[in-house]
Amino acid sequence: MDIGSFFSALTPLNLLFALFGVVAGTIIGSIPGLTATMAVAVLVPITFSMEPASALILLGAIYTGAIYGGAYAAILLNTPGTPSAIATTFDGYPMAKRGEGDLAVALACFASVAGGLVGAFALLFLAPPLSRVALAFGPVEYFWLSIFGLSLIASLSNGNLAKGLAGGAFGLILSTVGVAEVSADIRLTFGSQTMIGGFGVVGALIGLYCIPVLIDLVAVPERHLKVEKGVQSVRIADAFLLAMKSKFNLLRSSVIGTLVGILPGAGGSVAGLVAYSEAKRNAKPHQKFGEGEPDGIMATEAANNATVGGGFIPTLVLGIPGTPPDAVILGALLVQGVRTGPALFESGGSSIAYTFIYGLIIATVLMLPVGLLIGRYAYKSIVMIPKAVLVPTVAFMTVIGTFAIRNSVSDVVIMILLGVFGWVVGRFGFAASPIVLGLILGPIAEQGFVQTWIIGSAVGDLSGMFFGRPISQGIVAFTLISLLYPVYSAFRQKRILANSGGAA
Amino acid sequence: MSATRGITRSTIGTLLVASLFVVMGIVTLYDTLSYGDVDSKVFPRAAASLLIIASIFSIVLTLLKPAADEGFGTGSWWRRVLLVVSMLAACVQMPLYGFVVASAVAFLGALIAAMHDEWRLKNAAIYVVSGAVVVGGFYSLFRFGLSVPLP
Repeated sequence: MDIGSFFSALTPLNLLFALFGVVAGTIIGSIPGLTATMAVAVLVPITFSMEPASALILLGAIYTGAIYGGAYAAILLNTPGTPSAIATTFDGYPMAKRGEGDLAVALACFASVAGGLVGAFALLFLAPPLSRVALAFGPVEYFWLSIFGLSLIASLSNGNLAKGLAGGAFGLILSTVGVAEVSADIRLTFGSQTMIGGFGVVGALIGLYCIPVLIDLVAVPERHLKVEKGVQSVRIADAFLLAMKSKFNLLRSSVIGTLVGILPGAGGSVAGLVAYSEAKRNAKPHQKFGEGEPDGIMATEAANNATVGGGFIPTLVLGIPGTPPDAVILGALLVQGVRTGPALFESGGSSIAYTFIYGLIIATVLMLPVGLLIGRYAYKSIVMIPKAVLVPTVAFMTVIGTFAIRNSVSDVVIMILLGVFGWVVGRFGFAASPIVLGLILGPIAEQGFVQTWIIGSAVGDLSGMFFGRPISQGIVAFTLISLLYPVYSAFRQKRILANSGGAA
Repeated sequence: MSATRGITRSTIGTLLVASLFVVMGIVTLYDTLSYGDVDSKVFPRAAASLLIIASIFSIVLTLLKPAADEGFGTGSWWRRVLLVVSMLAACVQMPLYGFVVASAVAFLGALIAAMHDEWRLKNAAIYVVSGAVVVGGFYSLFRFGLSVPLP
């Protein structure tokens, strides 16, 4: 790494590509149904005629912009624009509903930039040693990681664990519909050809999060979001102060995002959920996660943007894509004739890898003005548009966004029906979030479980396989702490109250 | 909320939803009987068992201590139904009449469902034009910009 790579990234053309990439990515990511993977995949062909470093900078900027863009719809419409923004809905939408959507959008921007920078700097300084983490993760570690993610159900159940667990289990069942991951049995399709492809995660997300909001919106004449005062701008100063107060949360979430990004297949949604869970576990007594807590938004957005840099670590060092968009970018690299591997980082200071990393850092910094500017107009549009235009526009976007994923009308029908189902069960306390959690983490958990089971049976040491490896033991310990700490905390609080009552 | 609050409509709804989950769990368990490989059965069976147990717990807890769930609440039913029906109608029409016509139907249905203000010619014209711009704009973006093969 040397100053030459930095200046290579700073050429006017590369800066222009970075700016275009961030803007295009942010806009595409903000549309429900259009994921970061799709944004990168669609724009890959235009990079084929470019210099490899410029192509990488453009694709990295699109990717990082799209991950951030997902926060807009999550905050303002309760619909994650990309799956990475699932946990952003937990506190983002409640904040928007109480009239603080402008603050939430600005917080998401600051957190995304912070997380993106931590991930990019990890890629710059720690890529070769950190890539070994990816190799240390086997099926059992993935299984326990998904169980750790599922433990978040306990905190998403709004005080009713039985309902949360039922929702989570229902999501796990939905994730098994179609062809089995390992043995290729056809499951729960009941003879329907349509169901063989299973439930698409993005379509299910749109249905479960967006359709209930639309159904509620049309039923009453009240405005979509509360607006306390005239909409001038997003609240940059307030958001900056809050972000500075939550430095540790931002750093912790960014590190979690970087580490999860390194793990092939885990991705931004898992990173966001794990970081959210950790932020909630470390919450101060006055913080109410799930009811519009700024730290919840910051944890998720910092983590999901940190996966961008983190995901590039195994992609560039080992040739193993860390996240789905990395797989697309890896394909583009191969077309460019760039060979990934440790040598990419050792071929002198002016290598493509370092030019790209500097480009990614520049794109992440550009996300701050771009994100705040687009956020301002997105927020203004959403709060000012009359409901009679907003509802049909969003309804139309859910249809076209779901259709675009697999070019399937059946997916759109499933999305709508799942949305209606989500609305009905949500009305009786079975929240959508545990269902979504089960749907997303189900395949990772099942694959890890079955593979571990097969290996454990083959070597005659099932318990050793599941509980004997140090990383697994660490994740199991974290899971137990995550589940038991709230119980201990509530017990302690009760005791303190009882003692203070007795003293009085 | 005390147990003396008794069985309300929202309690009945909760019981029905939880019972539906129990049935879904049983159906899943039944479906696993047809799988050839044991690897395919383990996970759905575990999830179905968890679903049944959690739902039964939920039923018992609801009967012992009815929760203050909202239920369907107030609000216009015809608007809710119109929204969903117009979106489903669009799906039916898509293969027959193409994406633009189907989207126009969904947009119009949702617009009528969401229109709580008094209908005025000027408003109606603005909303219809904005609908045309939205449908046309997104159709162009997806069809030509993103090369999605829209019918």
